[in-house]
Amino acid sequence: MVTLRTLEQPSHGLPASEPLEGRGGVKPEVLRGARRRGRGWCSPRGVLAGSPGTEGNSILTLTCLWRHQCRAPQDDSRVVVVQCREQLPEIITRGDGLQHHKQKKALKATKFITDAECHESVLINSTVRLLEGLDLTCAVGQLLNEAVQAQNGAYRIGTSTLLFLVGAWSRAVEECLHLGVPTTVIVSVMSEGLNSCIEAVVSLQVPICNVFDHMDNSSIVYKLETVDVNLRPSGPGLLQEKRDFKDATSQLLSSYSLSGRHAASLKFFKTQAKVETEENIPQTLRNSLHADSFCRKSALTHSRHFNRADNSHGISRPDGFLEQCGSTPKASRCNDLVELAVGLSHGDHSSMALAEAAVRLQWQSVYLQQDNCKAPFMFDASRLLTCCLPGLPETFSCVCLGYVTVVPMSSLTLIKELQDQPFRVILIEGDLTESYRHLGFNKSVNIKTKLDSGKLPEDSAEELWAKSVLQVLTQFNVSLVLVQGNVSEHLTEKCLHSKRLVIGSVNGSVLQAFAEATRATPVAYVTQVNEDCVGSEVSVTSWTSPHDVNRSNRMAILLKTERINLITAVLTSPVSAQMEAKEDRFWSCVYRLSHALKEEKVFLGGGAVEFLCLSHLQILAEQPLNKENNACSGWLPDSSSWMASSLSVYRPTVLKCMASGWHEYLSAVMCNTATRPSAVEASTCIQHHVQKATNSGSPSSYILSKYSKLSSELFHSGISDNLELVPRVYDTVTPKTEAWHRALNLVLLVLQTDNKKTETRGI
Amino acid sequence: MSRFEAKKPSLCKTEPLTSERVRSTLSVLKGILASCYGPSGRLKQLHNGLGGSVCTTSQSSALLRNLSVTHPVLKVLTASVQNHVSCFSDCGLFTAILCCNLIENTQRIGLTPMKVMKLNKDLLSFCTSYLKSEACSCRIPVDFSSTHILLGLVRSILTSKPACMLTRKETDHISALILKSFLLTIPESAEDRIVLGKSIIVSLKGQRVTDSTILPGLLIEMSEIQLRRLLPTRKSSALKVALFCVSLSGDFSNAGEGTVVVPYQVSLENAVLEQLLNLGRQLVSDHVDLVLCQKVMHPSLKQFFIEHHVIAIDRAGVTLMEPLSKMTGATPIGSLDTIASTAYGSVKDLHSARFGSKHFFHLIPHEATVCSLLLCSRNDTAWEELKLACQTALHVLQLTIKEPWVLLGGGCTETHLAAHIRHKVHNKADDIVKEDGYSQAELLIAAEAFCSALESVAGSLEHDGGEILIDMKYGHFWSGQAASASVVSWPDMLSRCGCGLYNSQEGLSWSFLRSTYHPFAPQACLSQAAVDSASNLIVDCFTAKLSGLQVAVETANLILDLSYVIEDKN
Repeated sequence: MVTLRTLEQPSHGLPASEPLEGRGGVKPEVLRGARRRGRGWCSPRGVLAGSPGTEGNSILTLTCLWRHQCRAPQDDSRVVVVQCREQLPEIITRGDGLQHHKQKKALKATKFITDAECHESVLINSTVRLLEGLDLTCAVGQLLNEAVQAQNGAYRIGTSTLLFLVGAWSRAVEECLHLGVPTTVIVSVMSEGLNSCIEAVVSLQVPICNVFDHMDNSSIVYKLETVDVNLRPSGPGLLQEKRDFKDATSQLLSSYSLSGRHAASLKFFKTQAKVETEENIPQTLRNSLHADSFCRKSALTHSRHFNRADNSHGISRPDGFLEQCGSTPKASRCNDLVELAVGLSHGDHSSMALAEAAVRLQWQSVYLQQDNCKAPFMFDASRLLTCCLPGLPETFSCVCLGYVTVVPMSSLTLIKELQDQPFRVILIEGDLTESYRHLGFNKSVNIKTKLDSGKLPEDSAEELWAKSVLQVLTQFNVSLVLVQGNVSEHLTEKCLHSKRLVIGSVNGSVLQAFAEATRATPVAYVTQVNEDCVGSEVSVTSWTSPHDVNRSNRMAILLKTERINLITAVLTSPVSAQMEAKEDRFWSCVYRLSHALKEEKVFLGGGAVEFLCLSHLQILAEQPLNKENNACSGWLPDSSSWMASSLSVYRPTVLKCMASGWHEYLSAVMCNTATRPSAVEASTCIQHHVQKATNSGSPSSYILSKYSKLSSELFHSGISDNLELVPRVYDTVTPKTEAWHRALNLVLLVLQTDNKKTETRGI
Repeated sequence: MSRFEAKKPSLCKTEPLTSERVRSTLSVLKGILASCYGPSGRLKQLHNGLGGSVCTTSQSSALLRNLSVTHPVLKVLTASVQNHVSCFSDCGLFTAILCCNLIENTQRIGLTPMKVMKLNKDLLSFCTSYLKSEACSCRIPVDFSSTHILLGLVRSILTSKPACMLTRKETDHISALILKSFLLTIPESAEDRIVLGKSIIVSLKGQRVTDSTILPGLLIEMSEIQLRRLLPTRKSSALKVALFCVSLSGDFSNAGEGTVVVPYQVSLENAVLEQLLNLGRQLVSDHVDLVLCQKVMHPSLKQFFIEHHVIAIDRAGVTLMEPLSKMTGATPIGSLDTIASTAYGSVKDLHSARFGSKHFFHLIPHEATVCSLLLCSRNDTAWEELKLACQTALHVLQLTIKEPWVLLGGGCTETHLAAHIRHKVHNKADDIVKEDGYSQAELLIAAEAFCSALESVAGSLEHDGGEILIDMKYGHFWSGQAASASVVSWPDMLSRCGCGLYNSQEGLSWSFLRSTYHPFAPQACLSQAAVDSASNLIVDCFTAKLSGLQVAVETANLILDLSYVIEDKN
């Protein structure tokens, strides 16, 4: 009985993770943490104060409450599952997404999932991958998995927050139940509490405005340092600013290498630090400025004139736009992509640098397409894809305009020939095999073919079909076939002989991008091809130079065409086992940035939002319930129930329990970012600040005014003497609040469930 | 070989209800159902234990569908409740709990089944005639010119399903949408017979509930790429529609039995494709603008249509066929032969619509009696529950057109009805007994059993150990805190009655529901002013509740009447 499904190994084949983790042995010890650093690694029981010793083997406390649903360990498979659960909270406490650049290395520890039977192991460091690797068969586990999948499907980020809060709040609920609070009251007060928190944290939203407005100016400087021209080839049609700075004969590529990018970020940090030290506004004035900017935020941010004037002012300065921050409160808005990206990187610099470069590249390609750029630019993540090349050094990672994919080395000569001139392309939506029929076509079984003359035809059906396909390709002078599904090997070879390249398993959005750029129409069968279906002016270059890829017998090529709205992020890693994780991290950066740009607002991150929720709930719990307005009983499904009148008795208890969930979150983040070595110390520190915040009367303005101090105390223990070096951290808005909602929904759903189902069997 | 086996004799059991096993399983079933009842009811997880999706529910329809009962007595019960739910959607739990209560109570009183059945029937007829009479004060006439009562009805249905996980704001939003979609299905010009349209629930999981919305016309989901390819061919006037229910995929799966022998080099596929293209040519020459197909369309045919500026949509799905036909006036075409010109229909306009991550093709009819309710919910299990609740609400609204009354909810109807029956039996026992074959004492015993069965349905609304009271003026249901049993001032402890009509400051007196109170005549007339002033009334569907009452009593009678269970063991 294999209870752990092994995840797929990275597809581009170097040998897997042998040197990193010994083979798993027959023991049912399944999930192991890679203990890289003693400091960042907390034992589950240390962090989970809720269930010391008694119920270590449950998924969160969620199943503690309903532990009868999970059977006792009986056979090996059960043992495996239970052990997985024991480890679950550990991961939950770690993957929190609040990390900083400075502590990068002490962050998310990677985990292994090892299959006891197959001796295969997989390296994971994301919630989704973790749940994919675990086999949660009980109903609560299934619900948890569903919630995580739903969050991942909708936003691709926020799953770790979700998982953590599920754990924290289920402990809070358990506490409430111990104190005798009726279920219905817990449900209504907690939903009220969360909604109230979400209303409160609106004050920590930072509007993002016009990040692309001054991009062509600010990016010139940036590009001069960062455009990398040595290895990567490129097609024509490049950005005008670039043309003049390297020799025109060398084929430029609009790609950004990592090494250069770091320099830019560092520069950014320095300028920011300088600005902040120059800021000599008295504290009181600053406070009032903060309050002011938040009250009238909407009026200011939506005023285009205001922003325009601002920008031009900023740009005219030699040091860039940052000077303007001196005159407006720094939390009031974010109008620079670099600042935004750095804030959203959460410690993962290299991935975010790539993501940011991808956004810039898409903006540039869209900007160039629109002659008189009218429509506001919207980043479209569906036009971005990744190409993983394990075995290459990290510095090779870059983003390119066009489609980078891997082809076998046997195509090398063909690629070289095609490199010289643009060629024509067709796009096939289905498989390119003889037996392929479109979806919904049912093949009949009762049809037989009769041979008239008694002698067999010369060619097989496959051969005949391949010939007819080649004929079509020849007729329309097509040199490239992009196929969404599989391709018959026989045909690929035949095409190679006649100097035509066939690429299978192409993503649908790639086909769409080529269809738009070349005016080709995707078809299901080659027989459908007519002149209107064929696209033209596609060019190919080899992306990697042949001498550094011969190990894997495959090479990467770049296909592109004029005005194509498609970007490939090429991810490289010397350790192939890290490839999948690297890809996941890249995508989470992309989606963080994408959601922030789409919503045009971000939260002040680094724990500020959670800290405000915590203080807000504390204040709410101490406020007496006003009987007249009775806003609270509205949360009860049945306002005539006795619980409506006794709500005021239970409400503070429930809110405090809920606040302890936030507390737990913050202290786990502090432990993980290694600012506080022990949970106790972290807890004291949080307590101290919450006390101050609640005493100040308005926690949100406390946070705003003390932001850098707070974030340094809470999350940057080492550098607290140099406050101004602390860069701003941002968080996405809707993905985060939705993760909270989902977590609470799940906890409350399970809370309201009693355990009658098992008894019902066999009535 | 089984034929040669000797037949086993059938197993015959007498008086199934006297068996302890039957009684205990019946009480387990009752416990399960009663624990689900009402807005603070507990949820049940239905899960097959091997993985797969989990259904979290407290609705009778989902629950009974997944409960595998084996004993014939329970099968009778669940089958009749399921039958009731399939006809009326609502009040399934009420029916089932009342039926269980009746069986338990009447067994306890020790009268012969014949007498009990007769008495139950009479008591039921008292109830129905009271509920249908003008004097009934737990019935409110529905004023269709205002949304007050109708919204209350929908909201009551939604709040009684806690697994929907709705907050108050979300409940308001969804209630308004449901009511709107119901109103959209009513045709504007009413002839002698009104045919209601249809509202189709479109799933949009993973979004916020407040993102739910309603659109007139139909939505067909498709990929963004498909949509982009279709939309350039768009025209402003009305579009002529052909609707196919036959597959246009170009296969020949309906070749029938036997084997077809085809000479070499004859391609059946090409022949069928040629036939399809002929069909396409006819459609083009008939100036059809939009071809809708329930099943799959051959890519070549689609390409042909696009080249001729005809919009082709396939895979509409069987559920959309009836509303599509209704909306466009097109007759579904079931063959590839020539098409009669009468088969075509038309739509007013079409658009693309994007909601969340999904893309839709939006067909707008000339006269909107078909609408699409886009229902969002954060998680799958809550969505399923919400969908069921919305369907129930829509059905209940339709039932309310036929019988434009609602009953007071929140347990008030049950307690009021019980008070009414008690009073009637005590004061008019002589009149009742005169005509029938039972004694006055027997009537009193049976009425007590009947009334306490009703009251204990109302009592099932409480799940957290609270105390239930009845007031001595209106006979309404009140909920109070258990610890405060000795409290002096009830008016301060209680807020409003179950349905929300009366508040506790009206100089009422209360009695515990579980203790016996002296029979009194609950106030007969319901003042319209009270109804208008109450802000959040909890009301139930009249038709469904009345039917539930009848089904419960009749099923209980049927089960009480069972004297033999004969099981065929072969």
